[in-house]
Amino acid sequence: MADDPYKALGLARTATQDEIKKAYRKIAKTDHPDLNPDPAAHERFKAASSAYDLLKDPEQRARFDKGEIDAQGQERPQRHYYREYAEQGDNPYRQSHGFEDFSDVFSDLFGQRAQARRGGGARSFDMRGPDQRFTLEIDFMTAARGGSTRITMPDGSVLEVKIPEGAHDGQVIRLRGKGGMGMGEGEPGDALLTLIVADDPDWRRDGDDVETTLPITIDEAVLGGKVEAQTIDGPVMLTVPRGANSGQKLRLKGRGIKGSGGKRGDQHVVLKIVMPPHVDDELAEFMRGWRENHAYDPRRGK
Amino acid sequence: MTQRHYTLAETLSLIDDLGAEQLERYIRAGVVAPVQSAQGPLFRDLDLARLSLVVDLAEGYHLDEEALAMVLSLVDQLHGLRGDMRAMLDAVAREPVETRLRLKAAIREVRVIRQG
Repeated sequence: MADDPYKALGLARTATQDEIKKAYRKIAKTDHPDLNPDPAAHERFKAASSAYDLLKDPEQRARFDKGEIDAQGQERPQRHYYREYAEQGDNPYRQSHGFEDFSDVFSDLFGQRAQARRGGGARSFDMRGPDQRFTLEIDFMTAARGGSTRITMPDGSVLEVKIPEGAHDGQVIRLRGKGGMGMGEGEPGDALLTLIVADDPDWRRDGDDVETTLPITIDEAVLGGKVEAQTIDGPVMLTVPRGANSGQKLRLKGRGIKGSGGKRGDQHVVLKIVMPPHVDDELAEFMRGWRENHAYDPRRGK
Repeated sequence: MTQRHYTLAETLSLIDDLGAEQLERYIRAGVVAPVQSAQGPLFRDLDLARLSLVVDLAEGYHLDEEALAMVLSLVDQLHGLRGDMRAMLDAVAREPVETRLRLKAAIREVRVIRQG
């Protein structure tokens, strides 16, 4: 905000509480960003509302006047203006006014009324270049760990694109000024990259959690033990319990994908018992003997 | 992604210069329409932003809830159309250069030349 909150409100330091409120209200009337699209008005309103936040409480104002606190640090967290929501196509308030939403405007565009009469040819003008949309497929690990990937633009230039950690399907990355060329003095547009995270045979993703399959030997399944398992961060030693089953899931907390809140999901390791490539006589012999006294039927009851 | 919802009490504490009775009047007049639930009205971020605007309008222009409902409906239309316009411009921006030039010429003809 302005260093001097009194100045932001156009007041002297001797102003009464009532005058402070009035001054803020006056600025809100003319410069409210929901009513006035002018960016300068937005700045005035922002400065005035921070100033008002600081000065509206007489005690806080007194502390500021004495120099105990300064105007900085008093700013409230980024205020969200109504227009940010109201411009969305799905604003529930707009629909409730009984207007047929999109169709009102767009039916004309595609209907009969929009008969273009061809006028003179193109004149010279300046125009910002168009945003260009691309789809960028990245592999699972790049999405999970973050990193960078190279893409070749339509004009042949190569761009290095930074992928944020925990990137997800459908996420859009904006590359400023990398879109279409502007016309005349117009700036180039942006490149908008919609991410597709490729399926990975080894990693299944469910929100911020991931699932992997860990093959184990029959002896590991019977006896239990430590087995190396892959995580996003590299291999870890995982304790397989004695008598482990195929399909049994072990959870590695915090080894999943970094979510929007910054917290990582979990990894679920699904065990899969794998037979030796060749069942030798010794194993077969042992099993035959074991079956004599320990037969069980996993298909019946529990 | 689940949306954050605020209870009535939370909303009142978050919006300066808004009293419980006043909020109730706004709800009744349809100035604001919170999500209904068994726990009472739940306000979305959208509703909080709308209420902040409502308070500024009410205090700045001394508007009652009926006037506010009307003003807000105009604001909704304006913002909605602005969003539509932006979507349309986005769509146009994706067209090839020749198409954009043609559209620009057509718009110019309708908006600038014919008016003059």
